[in-house]
Amino acid sequence: MATVAELNSGHTPTWCPGCGDFAILAALKGALSKLNVPQEDTVIVSGIGCGSKIPHFIRTYGFESLHGRSLPPATGIHLANDRLKVIAIGGDGDGCGIGMGHLVHTMRRNLNICYIVQDNEIYGLTTGQTSPTTRKGTKTRSTPNGSIEQEVNPPLIALAAGATFVARGFAGDVAHLTSLIEQGISHRGVSFIDIFQPCVTWRKDLPYSLYQSKVYKLEEAGHDTSNFDAAIDRTRETDRWPIGVFYKTDKPIYTDEIPFIKDKPLVSQDISNVDISKFIEEFF
Amino acid sequence: MADTNRLNFLIGGPAGAGVATMGILFAKCMQRAGLNVFGTNDYPSLIKGGHNTYAISASDEQINSLMGKPDMLLALDQLTIRLHSKCLSPGGALIYDSNKVKEGDIAEGRKDIFHVGAPFTEMAAKAGGEIMFNTVALGAAVGVLGMDFTIAEGLLRRIWEKKGEEVVQQNIAAARAGFDYSRSELKTPFKVKIEPVKRDKTMFINGNEAVVVGAVKAGCKFVAEYPMSPSSSILHLMAGHEREYGIIVKQTEDELSAAHMIAGASFAGARSMTATSGGGFSLMTEALGMMGMMELPCVIINSQRCGPSTGLPTYTEQADLLFSLHASQGEFPRVVVAPGDVEECYTETINAFNLAELVQAPAIILLDKYLSESSKTTEDFRKLQTGVERGRLMSDSDMEKAEGFKRYAFNSDGISPRCLPGQKNGLHVCSSYEHDETGFSSEEAGMRVAMINKRAKKLAAISEELIAPTFHGAMQSQAEILLVCWGSTKGAAIDSLRFLAKAGIAARVMHLRYAEPFPSKRVLSALTSAKSTLIIEGNSNAQMREHILKKTGYYIEKAYLRYDGRPFIAKDIAEHVKTTLKK
Repeated sequence: MATVAELNSGHTPTWCPGCGDFAILAALKGALSKLNVPQEDTVIVSGIGCGSKIPHFIRTYGFESLHGRSLPPATGIHLANDRLKVIAIGGDGDGCGIGMGHLVHTMRRNLNICYIVQDNEIYGLTTGQTSPTTRKGTKTRSTPNGSIEQEVNPPLIALAAGATFVARGFAGDVAHLTSLIEQGISHRGVSFIDIFQPCVTWRKDLPYSLYQSKVYKLEEAGHDTSNFDAAIDRTRETDRWPIGVFYKTDKPIYTDEIPFIKDKPLVSQDISNVDISKFIEEFF
Repeated sequence: MADTNRLNFLIGGPAGAGVATMGILFAKCMQRAGLNVFGTNDYPSLIKGGHNTYAISASDEQINSLMGKPDMLLALDQLTIRLHSKCLSPGGALIYDSNKVKEGDIAEGRKDIFHVGAPFTEMAAKAGGEIMFNTVALGAAVGVLGMDFTIAEGLLRRIWEKKGEEVVQQNIAAARAGFDYSRSELKTPFKVKIEPVKRDKTMFINGNEAVVVGAVKAGCKFVAEYPMSPSSSILHLMAGHEREYGIIVKQTEDELSAAHMIAGASFAGARSMTATSGGGFSLMTEALGMMGMMELPCVIINSQRCGPSTGLPTYTEQADLLFSLHASQGEFPRVVVAPGDVEECYTETINAFNLAELVQAPAIILLDKYLSESSKTTEDFRKLQTGVERGRLMSDSDMEKAEGFKRYAFNSDGISPRCLPGQKNGLHVCSSYEHDETGFSSEEAGMRVAMINKRAKKLAAISEELIAPTFHGAMQSQAEILLVCWGSTKGAAIDSLRFLAKAGIAARVMHLRYAEPFPSKRVLSALTSAKSTLIIEGNSNAQMREHILKKTGYYIEKAYLRYDGRPFIAKDIAEHVKTTLKK
């Protein structure tokens, strides 16, 4: 168990002043310090992008993979050693553009990992192009006449793909976000958290104040998190933007069906002298 | 004149008729007779119909490939007769299902061959079910060879005993019916006779199977794979042994995921591998570079097929050599090894796992369709010396004492101690960005150069002995020509020596397994001391010749290249060598 101070890596984040990633970092550290997980048993896996630099700023084990690929290595780490807490994190381009295939398949596997999308509706590190979550009609550097495509709705996709915990947070409410991340990491099964995250450099049209005027908390609106249909409806709201837990259910997780890692994770199993005698019988 | 214990046999039929299953069954009869057996299949990319064959050579001499034209042809359909009966060796036997093939269509002008046309389907139905027409055919083939029935009977019992005594008896009855039929049909003894030889038990195994056994022996714990011919049987066989050996086998959404999953599992400390063919390997190149940057040990199997693009999915080629050596942007070390036979598939898979951990880098195993799916008798793998060496992997107790641990610490050989998540005192980020000794991303010029140099040094830790080429045939001083080959061409190249010797030509084979690291000194010395040299490889650009030139400065002028999707044949190599030497 570590305090927030102990979770500081000692490196100063390189994000733009005012970036939503600072709040997400604070919330992640806050959640980890509340959960009773030793630093060495935590692995934060990211993709590539502004937000994906986050493993460098938290003192745990980290894996900064390639653009769009946080989920496959997170899956590999988890299956190799399911005693670790694995948190995957990356931007909307990372998760819903180049990494969309992995998102859908990771959700349906119900692996016991947490996936956080830093959703600022823009490609930041590549200097301001449209992203899959950029709303239709938005002008960006790659869509100067307004984007033509319908945007992706990440929580709706996570629900459709079979995620057993689906939530949305807002970088403008750190306390609420911290609680969501804590719940997500604690959830037994795959958890998906989309985070509204203002990009102060490339999305000046989408400032904190606009989010603040639109968001409302699901838990204050009497939403039933066990009701899948209600969750679907909430994710589809466009006039007001719900934050909080959309849906939560308990189902057997992927590793429940792998009997041979019940006692020991793969990495702890003895491989020094495997006996192949039984295997090769079929070739005699 | 009877030829004892030298047989070439071809089975043909439509896909879905069990051609390969029968071929393997028959080959196992020869294996149980104590012979050396080689078997290989040929099939188009479809599931039902088309034309499949399984070819077998069996001999009491050491053989490593197909040795000649079929002496016996088993036709499960008309097409097989049309395509192959003219290739039957003089005095050969044609065995066919008279329920499916009409007498009149058979092999015009071949009065010299035996006809064994039995109503397989009818006989199978009598024995218990039409589905056993294969077993009747097997019995008929064994009968032609004058073999005792007990070997076939023992094999069938072994295969079917799990299904219960009734199934065993039905199959034995079906085989017996075929056996008795051909015995009564053959008025004079067939030209080939099989007389069982006493010897230690051998394994009959193909390249993919040998790789899987090797991976299990090496302690592979995690396999992620997306299906692709001809690598898919690795996925199937691994998955079949998942619980027995405690290996998680994950079929992924694509090859990107497969390669990245094994990177993650390797970071967490599990020995991990994936298998694919060239198309899938293309998708894995981004992960390959990431493994290079992160210094992660992973094993990637690329069973080559004809490219580019979809190419000829079920046909063989050796055209991914340079691609494997250079795949992914930037510069980083990797191991590239191409086993030459099933025994090397086993040992080099174990080596690949050990070397990947020794140098903390990806290891690519290059197979091809021919090696993956050709089976061969080989000695019991348990007799081969192998071990698990995990390189500079830190134990939990090492890490308890570690202070100021740096995952990418600079040292003389470039190989840093490696810790795993879950261990104390080792917190770091494993990053795809260039990084400093702690793993923190760095774009500083000096650090960049130091890290490139650090990684580049690592392959030197691999012993020259391990990667040395192997030599076969005549002594260097005697040989008129040095045949240079790599990967799966080994068997046919070695077998060509026998045909060359008959023609009075002393030749020597140099077989290369390792393309990276490369045994430059030994290869150069062999090439410069040879009277003449010939490169033999399965691609149109002579890629290994180019690689040898780059590594040694020696250019092998003469090349025998094959890129029609079909494997090299020993007799063809011998003929080519004869022509080359005449010029």
